[in-house]
Amino acid sequence: MVVPYFNSAVVYASLFAFMAIGLTLTYLTTKVPNFAYGSFVTIGLYTAYTMWKINGIGPYYASAVAFLLAGLSSAVMYLVVLRPLARRGSSLVSLMIATFGVDFGFVGIFGIYTDYLTNRYTLNDTKQFFQLQADFNLGGVPGIVYVAPAALTLVTLLLYILLTRTKFGVAMRASVENPSLAKVLGINVERVYVVSWILAGGFAGMAGAFYTLWLPGGTSTGSDLIVEIFASSILGGLTSIFGAVLGGLVIGGSEIVVGTDLTTGFGAIGAGALGVLLLLVSFYLWREKKDRARILGVAGIVLSVYVVLEAASGLSLDPFVPGLVGGFGVEAIAYQKAVPLLIMVAALLVMPKGLVSINWRRLLRRERKK
Amino acid sequence: MALPQAVFFGVDLVKFGIDFVNFYALYFAISLTLNLEAGYTGVPNFGKVLYVAGGAAVAGSFSGRLAAYVYGINTHGDFITFNARIITQVNNLIASDPVFATELVLLSLLIAALIGAVFGYLSSYPAIRLREDYLGMLLLAVAQFFQIFLRGFGPLVGGTEGIFVPDPYAYFASLGIGVRDLVAAAVISVFAVLVFFFAEKVARSPLGRTMRAVRDNEDASRALGKDDASVRRKVLVVASAIAGMAGALVTFYYGSVGADTWSRFAWTFWPWLIVIIGGAANNAGIALGALFFTALFKGLAQIQIVLPPSVLSDPNYVVDIAFAALIVIVLLVRPDGILRERPTPTLPRRRLVMIARSSSTQRPAAEVDSSREGEGKLGWLKSLLGRILKRRESADSAR
Repeated sequence: MVVPYFNSAVVYASLFAFMAIGLTLTYLTTKVPNFAYGSFVTIGLYTAYTMWKINGIGPYYASAVAFLLAGLSSAVMYLVVLRPLARRGSSLVSLMIATFGVDFGFVGIFGIYTDYLTNRYTLNDTKQFFQLQADFNLGGVPGIVYVAPAALTLVTLLLYILLTRTKFGVAMRASVENPSLAKVLGINVERVYVVSWILAGGFAGMAGAFYTLWLPGGTSTGSDLIVEIFASSILGGLTSIFGAVLGGLVIGGSEIVVGTDLTTGFGAIGAGALGVLLLLVSFYLWREKKDRARILGVAGIVLSVYVVLEAASGLSLDPFVPGLVGGFGVEAIAYQKAVPLLIMVAALLVMPKGLVSINWRRLLRRERKK
Repeated sequence: MALPQAVFFGVDLVKFGIDFVNFYALYFAISLTLNLEAGYTGVPNFGKVLYVAGGAAVAGSFSGRLAAYVYGINTHGDFITFNARIITQVNNLIASDPVFATELVLLSLLIAALIGAVFGYLSSYPAIRLREDYLGMLLLAVAQFFQIFLRGFGPLVGGTEGIFVPDPYAYFASLGIGVRDLVAAAVISVFAVLVFFFAEKVARSPLGRTMRAVRDNEDASRALGKDDASVRRKVLVVASAIAGMAGALVTFYYGSVGADTWSRFAWTFWPWLIVIIGGAANNAGIALGALFFTALFKGLAQIQIVLPPSVLSDPNYVVDIAFAALIVIVLLVRPDGILRERPTPTLPRRRLVMIARSSSTQRPAAEVDSSREGEGKLGWLKSLLGRILKRRESADSAR
């Protein structure tokens, strides 16, 4: 069964996985959450936009240029801002503020650049543009639906080979694990860091170029995407590249699925299923031997029974449950970013080390023993 | 009555001055709250915009509805759509009703403080449990989501288009638009000064010392029986409540509130910039930092006069890049800011002198050795006491 939002979910999931890989790479090497990371996505966005509008070159080719440009900016940011600060012994918070400042600087650069485009080429949609009509079609499906997951698979595979099968990859892992020991062994740790920053920025730029084919973009797109990027990386554990891929897939997929369902409605069966899911979670909470969890659990059980009954009977006693069944309308699309946010909060509360840290087999065994 | 004009190179200096004071006082107050959190308590709050925007949005939305209700204006059941017409009517009525205007401002401030406090309480939950980097990412993401939420959610502030807010200074607006802005500047300045004295009082109180202890060594403060979680929660709640009030004051000054004002750059990054420039955990430093920031910001904005719009459509872009460079340079060259953190005297100076005098009767004053100046944590205090004692002695001997 192909649901209508399948395409959207596939593209979103792949793009967020790309971005999460990059953010995780920067965090792994320098241990700083890069607040300016969204700007690298915007660089990719505007590379694709410029090349399409002015030279007529499609975003697939532009993605290579975007990779280079964003990778270069990322390396410059590391070399000019973060490395000198880190050498000076700045605290983590200072480094975070510095990346925040760089993000702010990018706002100015994008503003000046878009003004320049508007004046020089008389384009009137530089600040906010619709998706570029540059994609090919294959069997009635836009090409990006094939290309984005294929590129993600390729990159993940290449990264896997790089990290496990090449000398440079081993050096990279060594410098992440223990920089001083790696230095003693003669590994050029600085070079490793620069390369990973180039890769990190590059993936963001590439994702940005792909993004223009699917969604409208603008100067603030990267800034707004920071919610999903952080959520994906944190869900992946912030320290595992393959966890980041997983996190991106989960966040992108669930955002589209839940967001679309909120607008069009889950249907009676879907709403009932949500109620049952809530029931299961509440039951789990209720079994915990803590007062607060018990109270939450009981409240959840009552609420879920109410949702299931109302969804099954088709009555409309309140606006919420009929909304779940029949949809909240187009406005709900504005709140679909709540989905990654909630997942991020839940991940931080339940499993701060991310999806990959969970030992699923042990968890299942423990549950069975109960 | 119109304000005098003093035009200088095409800039009306009086208008510029009023604008300057408004901007300065506003950012001074907000940065002081950030300083309480990040400087004194060590909670790096990267979501400051959340509290300011929360206070502003709720106060802006609430005050218009309340005024319409009190004056019995027909809202046709849809406050947002007919907002411009309703607020025009409200402003006409409120111009001759300064008492209600004052009440409206006070009530809105209260509600904004409440919203800020609730947000602050909620953010204290992760702030107690998470490390700086995770906390920063979370608060940044939450604040960004709040802006996206405001953009999409119509009933509160009408999304990106925004809504108008009743003008409590309408009485003064009839005397001239400059007078209105002057009164607004006075109100915001009074607010900022109050926040300053509050922050100073807190910093010198036992709570302030506990805050610094929690920041410097959590384990040690815990071992001494201090509840670090409760200290962090208290500080976040109070600082966020003040930030919410500042947001409400911004709204009344601008006369409108929308979603796009609340970018994380203008309300999170700029306060951080001020705290870093001025010096963390030093309220006087924040005053200087805010002055430096405002002067630079308002000064750079005047490039517009020099450069034609065809070259640069928006001078703010240059400001953005300049500030990005500035923060990196400040962090590299002078990470402590203009004024460093100093041990704060816990008692007023007069009491200290009295204590010093009474202790000098028990032991010879010669024991206070001036060569030990600046030694240890309280060296500054000791040398100050020593200097005061010496001056007293010389005065006595002269008599």
